Amino acid sequence: MTPTQERIQHIFKACSHREVQQWTGLMTVDDLHAWLKQELGSELALDQFLPHGPLKSKAIAPQCILHIVSGNTPHAAFQSIIRGLIVGSHNIVKIPTSGLDAFTDALVHFPEPLRDLIEIHSALENEDWLRADVVVAIGSDKSIAAIQQQIKPNQHFIAHGHKVSIAIVYDDFKTAARRAARDASLFNQRGCLSIHAIYVQGDSMHFAELLAREMEQFSNNNPPKPVTISEAGAIRNLRETNRFCAANDTSVQLWESKDTLNWTVIHQNDPLLHLSCLNRCVFVKPLPPTIDSEILGAESDHLSTVAIHPFIDANTTLAESLPAHRICPLGESQNPSLFWHHDGIAPIASLVKWKDIG
Amino acid sequence: MRISSLLFVVSTDISISTTIKERIEQAGNGSILREKEFNSLALKLFQYQYRENSAYKNFCDAHGQTPDLVNHWHHVPALPTDAFKAEAYPLTTFPPKDAEKTFLTSGTTTESRGRHHFRCTELYERSIISTWRELSLPEVCSSLFLIPSPRQAPQSSLSHMMGVVSNQLASQSKWLITESGSIDFDSLTNSIKEKQAVVLIGTALSFLHLFDSMNSPIILPKGSWAMETGGYKGTHHQLSKSELHQLFNTNLGLHSDSIINEYSMTELSSQFYSRGLNCAHKGPSWTRIRVIDPITNTDAKPGELGHLVIYDLANVDSVMAIRTQDLAMQSQTRLEHENPSFKLIGRDPSALPRGCSRSSDESLSS
Repeated sequence: MTPTQERIQHIFKACSHREVQQWTGLMTVDDLHAWLKQELGSELALDQFLPHGPLKSKAIAPQCILHIVSGNTPHAAFQSIIRGLIVGSHNIVKIPTSGLDAFTDALVHFPEPLRDLIEIHSALENEDWLRADVVVAIGSDKSIAAIQQQIKPNQHFIAHGHKVSIAIVYDDFKTAARRAARDASLFNQRGCLSIHAIYVQGDSMHFAELLAREMEQFSNNNPPKPVTISEAGAIRNLRETNRFCAANDTSVQLWESKDTLNWTVIHQNDPLLHLSCLNRCVFVKPLPPTIDSEILGAESDHLSTVAIHPFIDANTTLAESLPAHRICPLGESQNPSLFWHHDGIAPIASLVKWKDIG
Repeated sequence: MRISSLLFVVSTDISISTTIKERIEQAGNGSILREKEFNSLALKLFQYQYRENSAYKNFCDAHGQTPDLVNHWHHVPALPTDAFKAEAYPLTTFPPKDAEKTFLTSGTTTESRGRHHFRCTELYERSIISTWRELSLPEVCSSLFLIPSPRQAPQSSLSHMMGVVSNQLASQSKWLITESGSIDFDSLTNSIKEKQAVVLIGTALSFLHLFDSMNSPIILPKGSWAMETGGYKGTHHQLSKSELHQLFNTNLGLHSDSIINEYSMTELSSQFYSRGLNCAHKGPSWTRIRVIDPITNTDAKPGELGHLVIYDLANVDSVMAIRTQDLAMQSQTRLEHENPSFKLIGRDPSALPRGCSRSSDESLSS
């Protein structure tokens, strides 16, 4: 068994545990091998020199990767660490000082050889920065810019700025509403793959009404965690502002969970993409005749995923011109394939360098 | 409508506006509004605004709150400040085209800006002066303004307000922001040389720019004081109040008890003031505040955090009850003769919830 095959066995074992799998999704050993092969051309690329045109080449993993992860959703931290582990690098993970318990607590389920490759820090010393060959950062544009200032010329920097995702619904409203409720509710909308706005062809007001019912249903089955005062304030402000707009404009409509802040649906005709205040607050808008960056406005520069329903070629083709890196079926926006190009970046291939002979 | 009813309505409108204007004048001269009188005026004003401000009426109807049902100012529906950004539904009791003045909220070019229309600014100006008197704010001697003058920034309510202070309260004034937006250091240093106490008034940001630009400290003459206002919205500055006061001390020789903070907003017509560190903000007797826990949407207990809601009788021709996005704590139970007060915590960071979504930012900051 090669060192890479051993690590894959360990990663499989870690990700088989429920507490890890809820964030990483199911990964079989075959999946992990296939992923490596897809990214590096061969599952043996990290272990031996392989023919590469007239040369022989071997993938060289960085000795140390510094992962700077943000937020309360641990997805990105798990994704980033698994990429670092599969190539066999040492991994320093900088978590927010407020902690990232779902991530750090789950590390106990990682086999010891993997745990030995992971260090968790809530603050970084200068030497931590200096040790890193690769720095992977997940954060806002402002945070990314600040991190970039610290990058040395010999370090490779991989930035994942904050993102926003949308959905487009063409038909089959009932199924679409159920799936959209899932995509807009999971993980309290805190991920970059969370849906903020849904563009609907046809009777968008009717769709919004159906969505409100499904949001309620999803909330009953999966109650959200309590929100902070600030988050509650943002939801109240969004609701009251749109209550005012709805009271004065019949094209605006507000649906909200009764006596709770569990979910909010707002119908607006304005196609401009606005960020939701998160915590299961979602906008529904009529699908304009053409949907492009100009129509969506400045936030379209930060599009991650466009979830489509029904997911057929004719519909996905229409979304191809949008500057998103991923088009997926509605209901799956929060479950990207292991093979996805994160923000358009090949996640394993971008970590390694190559050594050639010949 | 029959002519007699029309006359009645018009006279009621004039009456509420005139009554409040006169009452604010009297309050500035020492006769403050007590609870019963405030409630009575607030209910009359609500009735007026419900009838004449159609956009607000529709909002109240959506809440199921009408003048027939509301018998205490607590229950007057509070409008979020963001509603002032909806240009299509102006929040006025008169045609917006008849506005003598329209103030705009600050904002970037991509952001829509709130609009507060004033039928006339006389009541607003009276509120500014009477607040100063009612709260016994220090005498304004030679004043130096670190903000654009009303001529330079005609849409800024802050510049207008300071113009009123300059014209009606200050013995002499200088506006230190030049046409190009830089600070006029010569005027500043010349004023200091006269060894007379001065008042330096500006936004917290303008003071930071001043401190950044100074080569050496300028110690203000004895008896001088400063007034700062506004936060650091839209900038990278994150300074605590004590850090800001330390900078005042280092750069201008001012101690905390010589520094006043002014809290208000474009959507209001009255102001709240605090002096020194850790002191509550106090407002004039024609205002009331509530601190609402946004989770329960009910009053936060004294000492607990919530969102500030302000009831301002001077907002006659727009909306009296304004829901802010500022976090505050309610002071302990207010006595009848005491001014409304709250402990201001600051702008709610709720615009930046957590997560790796676009709406969040905490990877470095936390």
